[in-house]
Amino acid sequence: MSHAWRPVIVVIGVIVFILGMRMILVPGDFKAKNGDYKYQWHRVSSEEFWKNFPVKHKGREFCKQCHPDKIEKVADSGHKNVQCENCHAQFNPEKKGHPINLKEDFGYLLDIGIDRSRELCKRCHAKLEYRPNLYFMFAKGPSTFHMIDPTKHNPGIECVTCHDVHRTGFK
Amino acid sequence: MELTRRQLLKMGLLSVCGTVIPISALEIFKPDALASLVHPFSKKKRWAFVVDTTKCMGCGMCAKACKLESDIPFDTEVQRTWVERYVQLKTGEVIIDSPRGARYGFTANDPQGRELKDEDVTKGFFVPKLCNHCEKPSCVQVCPVGATYKTDDGVVLVDRKWCIGCGYCITNCPYFARFFHPIYNVADKCTFCYQRITKGLNTACSDACAFGVRKIGKLYDPDSEVFKIITTQRVAVLKPEFGNEPHVFYLGLDDIVK
Amino acid sequence: MEAIQAHGALWSLKEMYTYPNEYIYWTIHIVIYPYITGLVAGAFVLSSLYHVFGKEELKPVSRFALLFSFALLLIAPSPLLFHLTQPQRSIHIMMTPHFYSAIAAFTIVYMTYMAIVLAEIWFVFRPFIVGQALEKKGILGLIYKVMTLGSYDVSEHALHVDEKITKILAFVGIPAAGLLHGYVGFIFGSVKTVPLWKTPLMPFIFLMSAIISGVAVCIFTYLIVMFVSRRFICKNTIRSMCKVLSLFLVIAFLLEGIDLVFHAYTAEESWGILSEVIFERFGFEVIFIQWIMGMIVPMIMLMLPNVGLPRAFIASTLVLIGVFMMRWDVVIGGQSMSRSLAGFLTYKIPIIPNSIEAFKEGPIPVVILLSAPFILLFIFNKVLPVFNDITSEEDCYATPEKPS
Repeated sequence: MSHAWRPVIVVIGVIVFILGMRMILVPGDFKAKNGDYKYQWHRVSSEEFWKNFPVKHKGREFCKQCHPDKIEKVADSGHKNVQCENCHAQFNPEKKGHPINLKEDFGYLLDIGIDRSRELCKRCHAKLEYRPNLYFMFAKGPSTFHMIDPTKHNPGIECVTCHDVHRTGFK
Repeated sequence: MELTRRQLLKMGLLSVCGTVIPISALEIFKPDALASLVHPFSKKKRWAFVVDTTKCMGCGMCAKACKLESDIPFDTEVQRTWVERYVQLKTGEVIIDSPRGARYGFTANDPQGRELKDEDVTKGFFVPKLCNHCEKPSCVQVCPVGATYKTDDGVVLVDRKWCIGCGYCITNCPYFARFFHPIYNVADKCTFCYQRITKGLNTACSDACAFGVRKIGKLYDPDSEVFKIITTQRVAVLKPEFGNEPHVFYLGLDDIVK
Repeated sequence: MEAIQAHGALWSLKEMYTYPNEYIYWTIHIVIYPYITGLVAGAFVLSSLYHVFGKEELKPVSRFALLFSFALLLIAPSPLLFHLTQPQRSIHIMMTPHFYSAIAAFTIVYMTYMAIVLAEIWFVFRPFIVGQALEKKGILGLIYKVMTLGSYDVSEHALHVDEKITKILAFVGIPAAGLLHGYVGFIFGSVKTVPLWKTPLMPFIFLMSAIISGVAVCIFTYLIVMFVSRRFICKNTIRSMCKVLSLFLVIAFLLEGIDLVFHAYTAEESWGILSEVIFERFGFEVIFIQWIMGMIVPMIMLMLPNVGLPRAFIASTLVLIGVFMMRWDVVIGGQSMSRSLAGFLTYKIPIIPNSIEAFKEGPIPVVILLSAPFILLFIFNKVLPVFNDITSEEDCYATPEKPS
């Protein structure tokens, strides 16, 4: 039987090679956490990667450092639940523009700018038949939500021409 | 040369045992797996999400904030979270759309580009969607290399350094919450803003929501608003029939929601 | 600034409502992967029919089918390398396999099968290899010397052992081939989110279509090679292969039929949109190419008495096209209906290779991958000739004939 065992030796050699490769290539922290091979078989340090992912939206507290007046004004208005970044974080590179380089000086990663377009206001205030018309987030109870028909309500003019968005009233 | 019956039997037995033993080692009966059939959600303190669709205005600020927070090129047509619009006409026809994942919001009554008259609409609403961070995520089950996993607190994450990009997890997600990251070319998905929730912050989408639609919190945490809503109100989950035990709970779901 | 396109947006057209992340993620390479794997399984089963069941009339093609199955097996996983977005990491599947995933078993199933096929080739060709190793000089001689694995024992006893082991390997190889392809079917059948795929019949449907395509590709290639090299073609062999082909055609047809009938009869929520995909959007592909031209017509052609060479050739070509279409319909068709059950996706293969992704997913790699097994077979045939068995009529008549 001697010659017939030779392929078996080759097979064993391949298996040993693969197992050897595993010892080199598999990271040391790769394991089935809590013994859960089905759902937790992973490189444990990858959790750290997601924990250390940069936080980009830093909220009102961050803006307050330089703009306490604006924050106070908004906190007293109908827009008090709207985050600064909702309107001021810009995805369009043309609209970004902040006098201070926030990235370098504060490690703040979003592009801040001013968007005066009607489109921005329409996201909440355009009247749609099925858009909820009551607002529940104020302490005083449900209040009607202000909506307009953008095709009829002064089309072509920027909303900020008449409205002060931080005070939620007319200028 | 004839193969004797004894040899045949031996070979057969060997090959059967050889395949059965490694397979049986994988599936060990667990009592807690059975218990989870009785409990609608798992007993441990894990992250869960509540979406109150009755309050959603369809402004899409959540989708915008998510995209900026999670560092995915803004105009690439993939979304970690998106908002769907359901409009039912008086004829009974249902029109669903989510233009550009709603990251520019819904600003006109034009589902799927059709100009609708207000009087034709019998009902309509918005449904925000995101990864359901299932207790039994089928996407994790099918990852061949262990590049996606569930953390101890119930969040499903992807290992960007280990993913081979086969797309099996994307195919196995009933909600299509997964996609290929356009830059890193690995599977990507909502992480419940793991960098934020582990620091005590809200997710970017729930922070951006001015209407209180989206809430994140831990189950079995007495201080958690999410747990209070789930235990006291009528909540539903999407596509429960897949058995994934999704942990995004919806208020005000409708039968037409897909 | 031009936005970066999402992976999948290049070749997916969306209609009505599809989820924002919904694209056809499994494309042409996932069509040819099960196709080539199926050819492997079918070719191997054909070669085993001679060794295990002693079908003497298949002797002239048994070595050819075995070596062809090996050539196909080498190419089988390469479509996946084109498909993966991180092909350089494909080694991870061996390093940290997650056996809850159907794909993770690939390494084990594939390597096991590879070992069986290679071992069988070694035992079958050993006397030839040893002879060549002793005779040839230079690089070719060296190749043969390596291939002997250091054993030059060609005594009668040793050959006797070889024959015995070949038989065992051929026998074990049949379930292994079944496992290899049934497992590919399982990869699809276990995807619970795609209604067209989610059926326990999927592994068997894939297996049966694998066998028919494998037998068909052997008939097809054998006839072409023999015709081009002007060798004698043994009619009995072809007739016997055609019999095997028609038998498995019937089984495949029944399995696919019952799957469709079951979908239609139980008519679950997804059936409305699924039926539109099958009968309207893929109506030509499914009904005309896959069923009528790929199954019914060859079935009739092969079952009519006195199968001649032209008829065998046409029938096997039709089966090959039909099975390819079946893979296409399953992979692309399954993803053509939106998981929202409210929309459709259409697959447009990117023809112009104007980017790396467009090239990777385009028709050029497909042509390369589909022709590679034939090129490999040509090279292997230089080292281990498989067509030498039949060069004259006597060789063919030497094989005992069975009354049909």
